[in-house]
Amino acid sequence: MLDATVFERFAIALLSTTLALLIGSVIVAATGYDAVAFVSSLVYGAVGNLSNVAFTLRQSTMLILTGVAVAVAFRAGVFNIGVQGQFVVGGFATALTIIFLAPVLPGGAGGGVLLMILGTLIAIAVGGAYATLPGLMKAYADANEVITTIMLNFIASGVVYFLIDAYLRPAGTSAPNTESFPSYIGLPGFVFGSGSFSVIGLGVALLTAVGVYVVMARTRFGYDLVTSGYQQRAADYSGVNSNRTIITTMTFSGMVAGLAGAIFAIMILGYYSDPSTFPTFGFDAIAVSLLAANNPLGVIPAGILFGALDAGGQYIGFTLDVPAELVDGVIGLIVLFVAAPELFRMSARRVGLGGDDE
Amino acid sequence: MTVAEYVTDNPVKIGTGAILVGVLVVAAAGLDLPGAELLTVGTLQRSLQAATPIALAAIGGLFAEKSGVFNIGLEGFMIFGALTAAAVSWFIAGDTSVSQADLWVGVLAAMVVCGILTYIFALLTIRYKADQIVVGLAVWFIGLGFGPFTATVIWGGVSSPTLPNINSVTVPVLAEVPVLGRLIFDASPLVLFTLAVAIVAWVVLYRTRYGYWVQAAGENPEALDTAGVDVNRVRYATVVFSGVMAGLGGAVLSIGIGSGFTGTGATMVDGRGWIAIVAYLFGNYNPIGAFLASLLFGAMDMLQIQLQTVGISLPGSITGLFPYVAVLVVLTLVGYTRVPAAVGEPYETEDD
Repeated sequence: MLDATVFERFAIALLSTTLALLIGSVIVAATGYDAVAFVSSLVYGAVGNLSNVAFTLRQSTMLILTGVAVAVAFRAGVFNIGVQGQFVVGGFATALTIIFLAPVLPGGAGGGVLLMILGTLIAIAVGGAYATLPGLMKAYADANEVITTIMLNFIASGVVYFLIDAYLRPAGTSAPNTESFPSYIGLPGFVFGSGSFSVIGLGVALLTAVGVYVVMARTRFGYDLVTSGYQQRAADYSGVNSNRTIITTMTFSGMVAGLAGAIFAIMILGYYSDPSTFPTFGFDAIAVSLLAANNPLGVIPAGILFGALDAGGQYIGFTLDVPAELVDGVIGLIVLFVAAPELFRMSARRVGLGGDDE
Repeated sequence: MTVAEYVTDNPVKIGTGAILVGVLVVAAAGLDLPGAELLTVGTLQRSLQAATPIALAAIGGLFAEKSGVFNIGLEGFMIFGALTAAAVSWFIAGDTSVSQADLWVGVLAAMVVCGILTYIFALLTIRYKADQIVVGLAVWFIGLGFGPFTATVIWGGVSSPTLPNINSVTVPVLAEVPVLGRLIFDASPLVLFTLAVAIVAWVVLYRTRYGYWVQAAGENPEALDTAGVDVNRVRYATVVFSGVMAGLGGAVLSIGIGSGFTGTGATMVDGRGWIAIVAYLFGNYNPIGAFLASLLFGAMDMLQIQLQTVGISLPGSITGLFPYVAVLVVLTLVGYTRVPAAVGEPYETEDD
């Protein structure tokens, strides 16, 4: 995968997605549904009208942010499967900040902006701290980060649910939801006039992707991070402390995930709820990052594509009787195909395309 | 490996175990827990049941990793196993009047389907040299998506209707033996089968030529190749075995001891495949050790019911997290032990 050229990567991403969607359609047809309606609804749900586009971009915003979080770690050779958990605790930190500080700070637009900035900063710190845990465990105890981060996802979800259910639920309500944020908290919709999508959120996501790209490509920190991912020994020789790199990588990745949590709480929810009901942005982000060859800039188109898939999939769930879970399965298939570039190379060689046998 | 060797080779692990037990004892004493009521035959029985799916997947997974392939997709294969078992037995019966025979066909079907699926996993990782971790994650995502999807297609909802489960087997006379009688001779046949699998797996791995091949495939594939054994063939076999075991583990969850497939949240498998990986690491790739570690996690699973029985009320959302916390503690204290040298590396024979 690493020695693939940009063109090859692009081709692999394209082929993987096409193949996965094709298999998805075959499954739709095989289970007795209308495959043509499936595909056309997918497209309509993603970009069919202005509000569908807004929904696509809203999902893309989240997937770009979480995708960048995943990409940071993968680039450095660390598997952060815990973006979902870091995103959950980050958003929870934002919600706590807003709920507890709103009564003591002045209201109105000024107070709102201050609260949102504070909440976001705290989310970044908390997301980073939560990701530091598996980093420490990997660096000093050699604990496999794939497993520790997955366990921490379960724990984050359970603990946040417990805290909301036991302490933050307004009296007399049965749903495990916190109270709603004050009305002056939220990002303005601008062009789309959608209550849960704002161009500002998307802007933050794009800026983050570019910012992280610059850090990775242009700074000493980023250089150390990438070399220790690809050339462990070279990094060791040049005096990079690999334990410290693992920890800072995880923290950096978790900070981005925390930011995603803040945007989710402020832009989309406007309150906080049982995390097990949240969309699994942190997992889908793994597919986004792989499709982008773990490049923070590549995450932008990959995130938009997946946002469209997600929006189209949900639209299908509402309008056709094809279960929306199908799209999750298709995303899994994309990951599978992206992981096996040899599959494409070998089959390409067999049919006589791209004959260079390196 | 004798017991003495194991003790001298694993001071950290045994120390960790001792510390864990010590902490539990101190906590029990500090909270004034009625220990005798907590540790009853009933608790052990339930823990053993909860441990079964984990142990099956763990024993399969350890064979795969011993031979050099880290099957990180166990969780996904368990989801497919749980779903297939429920769906097939339901289909055969035609509705919810599922008979014992139907259930057993469901169990077999889960093993066969997961065997075929892991063969694809093996093809991708061994032949097409895909990254084992990424493909394993993909298997999990595919399970998380297609599991509930298939359930919706069949039953109109992400979970199946309530199904019966496999009856316990009571051996006359022997069931009267105190403690052991209830644990082993009045239990689900799947629990007994798991015990047998653990023992047979230990014998195969450490006492047969084939077990030696498996170990060599993961430690020193070149040597095994030189000795004229097809390394990748051994790996295909162990990976498919790990899938069959994970499928069986899933089937145990849905119709062995459970009452149908649940597809909400992280599905009914709910992390047990991941816990299985930690179980065999904690058991140092020893099938018996993996079984005992699974028992530890099974007990964690059952702790909530047990605490309730003795009148300590912790919310279920918190006690439900005990197994995951235990995994973190075990992984942190034990670390990644000694991984077989060639794990994760595709092997390419020299003489093509």
